[in-house]
Amino acid sequence: MRLIIRQDPLAVGDYIANYICKRINDFAPTPARPFVLGLPTGSSPIPTYKALIQLVKDGKLSFKNVVTFNMDEYVGLPRDHSESYHTFMFREFFSHVDIPPVQVHLLDGNAIDLIAECKAYEEKIKSYGGIELFLGGIGEDGHIAFNEPGSSLASRTRIKTLAYDTILANARFFNNDIDSVPRMALTVGVATVLDSREVVVVVTGQRKALALSKAIEEGVNHLWTLSALQLHPWALIVVDEDATAELHVKTVKYFKSIERVQDEVEEHQARLKVKGIVEQVGSME
Amino acid sequence: MSSPMSSANGLVCFTNCLLPQEDGTLLQKDLWIDQVRGVILDAQRSFYLRKERPEKVIDLGGNVLSPGLIDIQINGAYGFDFSVFDGDEETYKGGLVSVAEKIVETGVTSLVPTIITQERSLYPTLLRLLRPYSSPTSANLLGWHAEGPFIDMAKRGAHAPSFLLSAKEGFRSFEDLYGTANLADSEDWLMEDSMGVRIITAAPEIEGVMQAVSELDKRGVVFSIGHSIATSDIATSAVRNGARLITHLFNAMPQLHHRDPSIIGLLGASPHLASPFSPITGQPYSPMQAPVPKRTHSFKLSVPVTGSEAFDDVVTPPQTPLFARYRDKKSPPKTGENYDFMRPFYELIVDGIHSHPNSVRLAYSAYPEGCILITDAMKILDPHLHDGVHEWRDGKRFVKEGDKLYLEGTDTLAGSVVTLDKCVRNFTRFTGCDMGQAIKCATMNPAKCLGIEDRKGTLRPGADADLVVLDKQGYVQSTWVKGRELWTRRA
Repeated sequence: MRLIIRQDPLAVGDYIANYICKRINDFAPTPARPFVLGLPTGSSPIPTYKALIQLVKDGKLSFKNVVTFNMDEYVGLPRDHSESYHTFMFREFFSHVDIPPVQVHLLDGNAIDLIAECKAYEEKIKSYGGIELFLGGIGEDGHIAFNEPGSSLASRTRIKTLAYDTILANARFFNNDIDSVPRMALTVGVATVLDSREVVVVVTGQRKALALSKAIEEGVNHLWTLSALQLHPWALIVVDEDATAELHVKTVKYFKSIERVQDEVEEHQARLKVKGIVEQVGSME
Repeated sequence: MSSPMSSANGLVCFTNCLLPQEDGTLLQKDLWIDQVRGVILDAQRSFYLRKERPEKVIDLGGNVLSPGLIDIQINGAYGFDFSVFDGDEETYKGGLVSVAEKIVETGVTSLVPTIITQERSLYPTLLRLLRPYSSPTSANLLGWHAEGPFIDMAKRGAHAPSFLLSAKEGFRSFEDLYGTANLADSEDWLMEDSMGVRIITAAPEIEGVMQAVSELDKRGVVFSIGHSIATSDIATSAVRNGARLITHLFNAMPQLHHRDPSIIGLLGASPHLASPFSPITGQPYSPMQAPVPKRTHSFKLSVPVTGSEAFDDVVTPPQTPLFARYRDKKSPPKTGENYDFMRPFYELIVDGIHSHPNSVRLAYSAYPEGCILITDAMKILDPHLHDGVHEWRDGKRFVKEGDKLYLEGTDTLAGSVVTLDKCVRNFTRFTGCDMGQAIKCATMNPAKCLGIEDRKGTLRPGADADLVVLDKQGYVQSTWVKGRELWTRRA
């Protein structure tokens, strides 16, 4: 796992957007072989989305051959509701980039058979050959997607009851009326995320500092589901300075040194790739 | 269709633009329209459900993308006078269409042609000719606005005195005059799924008019108080009965008097005007029991001059509120009555001449939600007409000086020639309001008054894609009707 530390959320967004841009362009997707991208909602990824939109507007990146799968959606909330993840994704991202609507996938929280909806979603992901890169964020309790503390680390896409913490945190989007916050959501599982070939997680802000420390400085723990990322062969966490508040100085220094070495290794690998010696520029871990 | 402005899948996205919101703010946001159906889209629904996104994206360079402007009182333009019918229906229709085609350069995409008082036999024909009209190449003609003939002699403006009438039989008199078919219930009035509006300006103090207001309202005809010397009580009654508009506020009505603020005073009316629970000193006016004042006095009529129909010929001294003696001091408020009082919309001519900027601001401050900008323009309206001396009619000539029109050799103002887009620009200067709020007064507010705010004067999904692009100074850059660009400013 790599940890990249940047000054503030904007710099984090820039870093991730450029990283994804490079990955997509290196992948050289075609209609027959699209790049499959997993996407999150929430406030942390917004700077990333903004930076991606700018890259598209500048002509450096296109989503024409990108297929997306979103992590989660509330159950029972109308698709047009201002707080639905359909609305979020359209407002913050899809409306501004050139992605064809048919290549966008979100869970339908209003499906009659929610279990079938979840199963179909997993199947759909498989039909595209799995997710190439899953971008994620975390909650203050360390949840990735809606995999609240205590979720199985082997979980797949399913119905999930939201933790009380999450409901409280979301109440501000529902006129501070806890009763109107949806209690359930459909979400990809921890294993669904881990199945993707690469995972990139954005963690910004002091309030996420404890979760970050639990996820990377302690063992794999179902009460901090992000910690499952330690089992993933190709994971990247990008954080701002505030989010490192609970980390040991030693940890921060270690990851900063990795970043320097990583750059050198990647450069070397890229040269080999040009010569056709290696397939992919990957993680050094 | 394959004009350069067409999109392959019929969908167009306007981006990098400011959209006027219904609260009067401007929001940076994209707008999606469907050129095939000519409507504004719910972009998110189109994306997720229709699985389509616009093939064509138009970058507006930070300009304002407003709903097309709506002018609900305009007497003519480009040399054509809606009030002049020479007996040839085709010529008249041709004149209407030509105005509708040209007016888009002023940002207007919908208008209500207005006719001043006519000889009574002309009404059935004229109003039939003024049925709603829309075409892919012109602004929409929404219906008609008839000013008169049930107006007050004292405030007749340029209306011919000999044609003015009273409505002795109430609504029957209105039917006899305008034609039964033209006052049919709005559901029967237009057989096809077309949208049409009818506005009648009348003076509620004229005999029989008050009794007709509620029936007109019931049938979907907008009753507008104008060319009137109604007292506060009468004006209030008219609104309670269903009047929902005031015709060119300040013009052709008594000046504001603090003891009897008359029609203008409606802008200050409290929603709890008639509440029995408030410690009010005077007795509220009860429309059911109020006597309709009889005309017992006569006015000295000056020789009618051809002038702005909105201007007063007779000055009403504000010191002596008329009809004061008719105020019913005894009728108590009835229990079970709905005491909520909805103030009427009011039209303002914002050319800086027909209403002083301070008056405009005063009215707007009192009741921003009711403000509707109109041109009340004469047939001379034509933004290309240069200043100087022009032929008019009957051998008379007029002098145009900016937005001022004088009869040659006099200082008599001959009417309004301001364009509606200029009114919007003036309005921001006169009131200090934001452009979004000024736009609202020429789009959403008139649409609401006419009850067509789901289709016109709005950017709501499903509304007609009648749009105007304004630069940050409020100058029209392009005008779109039903999703098609009809006019563009030449670079």
